[in-house]
Amino acid sequence: MGYRKVAIVGAGITKFVRRAQETAKELAWQATKMALDSCELTLDDVDCVTLGTAPDAFDGVHMKGEYLADGAGAFRKPYMRHYVGGGTGIFSPIHGWFHVASGMADICLVVTEEKMSSCYPHPQGAFITIFDHTTEQPLKPTLIWIFALEMNRYMSTYGISKRDIALVSVKNKKNALDHPSAQLGGEITVDDVLNSEVLAWPVNRLDVSPASDGAAAIVLASERVARRLTDKPVWIDGVGFSLDTAYWATRDLCYPTYVENAARMAYDMAGITEPHKEIHVAEPYDPFDYKELHHMEGLMLCPKGEAARMTADGVTQRDGNLPTCPSGGALGVGNPIAATGLMKIIEIFLQLRGDAGKRQVPGKPRCGLAQAWGDLMQVGTVVVMRI
Amino acid sequence: MAITEKITNTMKPTFWEGHIPVNYVYTYGHAGEKFFRAIKDKGTFLATYCSACDISYVPPKIYCDRCFTKLDRYIDVGTRGFIETFTVSFMNMDGSRKERPRILAMIRIVGTDGGLIHYIEGIGPDEIALGMPVQAVFKPKGKRTGAIDDIIGFGPVTRGRK
Repeated sequence: MGYRKVAIVGAGITKFVRRAQETAKELAWQATKMALDSCELTLDDVDCVTLGTAPDAFDGVHMKGEYLADGAGAFRKPYMRHYVGGGTGIFSPIHGWFHVASGMADICLVVTEEKMSSCYPHPQGAFITIFDHTTEQPLKPTLIWIFALEMNRYMSTYGISKRDIALVSVKNKKNALDHPSAQLGGEITVDDVLNSEVLAWPVNRLDVSPASDGAAAIVLASERVARRLTDKPVWIDGVGFSLDTAYWATRDLCYPTYVENAARMAYDMAGITEPHKEIHVAEPYDPFDYKELHHMEGLMLCPKGEAARMTADGVTQRDGNLPTCPSGGALGVGNPIAATGLMKIIEIFLQLRGDAGKRQVPGKPRCGLAQAWGDLMQVGTVVVMRI
Repeated sequence: MAITEKITNTMKPTFWEGHIPVNYVYTYGHAGEKFFRAIKDKGTFLATYCSACDISYVPPKIYCDRCFTKLDRYIDVGTRGFIETFTVSFMNMDGSRKERPRILAMIRIVGTDGGLIHYIEGIGPDEIALGMPVQAVFKPKGKRTGAIDDIIGFGPVTRGRK
């Protein structure tokens, strides 16, 4: 379709932690420097920079893109910030992809950063402002509620139990034990999840990913440059993004149509017709355990209502037929919003290169997918990658 | 990997406190003005309807988000709905426990594609179910200000009222 081929050639990621000593800029610098070092580039080689970061209210700086620019390596360079809520981290490589695919740049640095711990006592104070100020904010909503409403609708529509869903949390937190950046890796049981504190029924504490500080960065290159830089470029073969209305009370929450729209866009571009067979490893967005299942269905990796059964059958384990969240996901590695999405991109990058170490899924996967979701149950962002 | 140490006590690194001094005065908009006035004066809900897309909006909108047609006919759709989904909330925004859990629900207004998020009153966590019919419970007319909290919540359907 006239696009240039775009590859990921380098990646960097900080530890994800509840409270980082580092400032937001220092976190961004750590990840960015690591990404450049990984492919032996310096700032001089970089043509442009894109930055993904979530609400300004986390930092209390209402020009967060500009504020973080120097830490992201954008000193006197073409620079743009993007933000689509929790979907940001997967939109980040898409935003960078535009710059390289269009021919504007040969090397584009893509940086994501989140420091949620500055917002005190908890970033819920910032999250309330995503709701409509006239019809919803006066009810004092928390972010947990909208997930609880959606989870209940999903469970009731398909007859899925909390026990089925808890398996996702058990799997992802276990996978995270092998991730050096992980904040909440652990060996837990389904009963641990079910017996953890109820926040907003049906959501218990261990159904939820944590608030985190962290940053991640990748280097994108055009085909000509990528082949010079590495023997193992990972190609971005499909990108998709779609937004539903923020008028969310008018929708049926049991199925994420916007994720399906984004997936179809990415699959069309990548020439994928049977995603459940052609995708070898996936990183669906899992800020809550049921969301991984919800998103697998939206991504058409399984029929509607079937993701829980696939999980129970072990299909989504690292050694299963379709490993999901081999990184440990947002539930295990942590959830510094924008950086989480890029962490997932980096996981697929490493898996396809065979560089994922203890987390490596068997069978030499050649095609992977990462997806994120965000805002008022309305954003789907999808990237398909191949080696 | 980065040199960041695992800090579990969020107040351990040296910090200073800041706050943002901002307040807001929101307008209701054209459709919101009519919607909240109907709640305040008549204790009922208004919808707008797009005949091209066969979709109705509650709260009403002045445009259809599918086809972008201007919508200017307001229909009284009453105050009954059914529970599309619900949650029982145990926590306050600051992470402290609520004194009593509150039920919050997405309520689909009968005969429309629209809905409201609101509290459920008079139905216990053990009695509530998806699909259950409910109707809005308003503050007494004299105490209404034309805001979402003119609705106390949604409760069991009683005879007589629409």
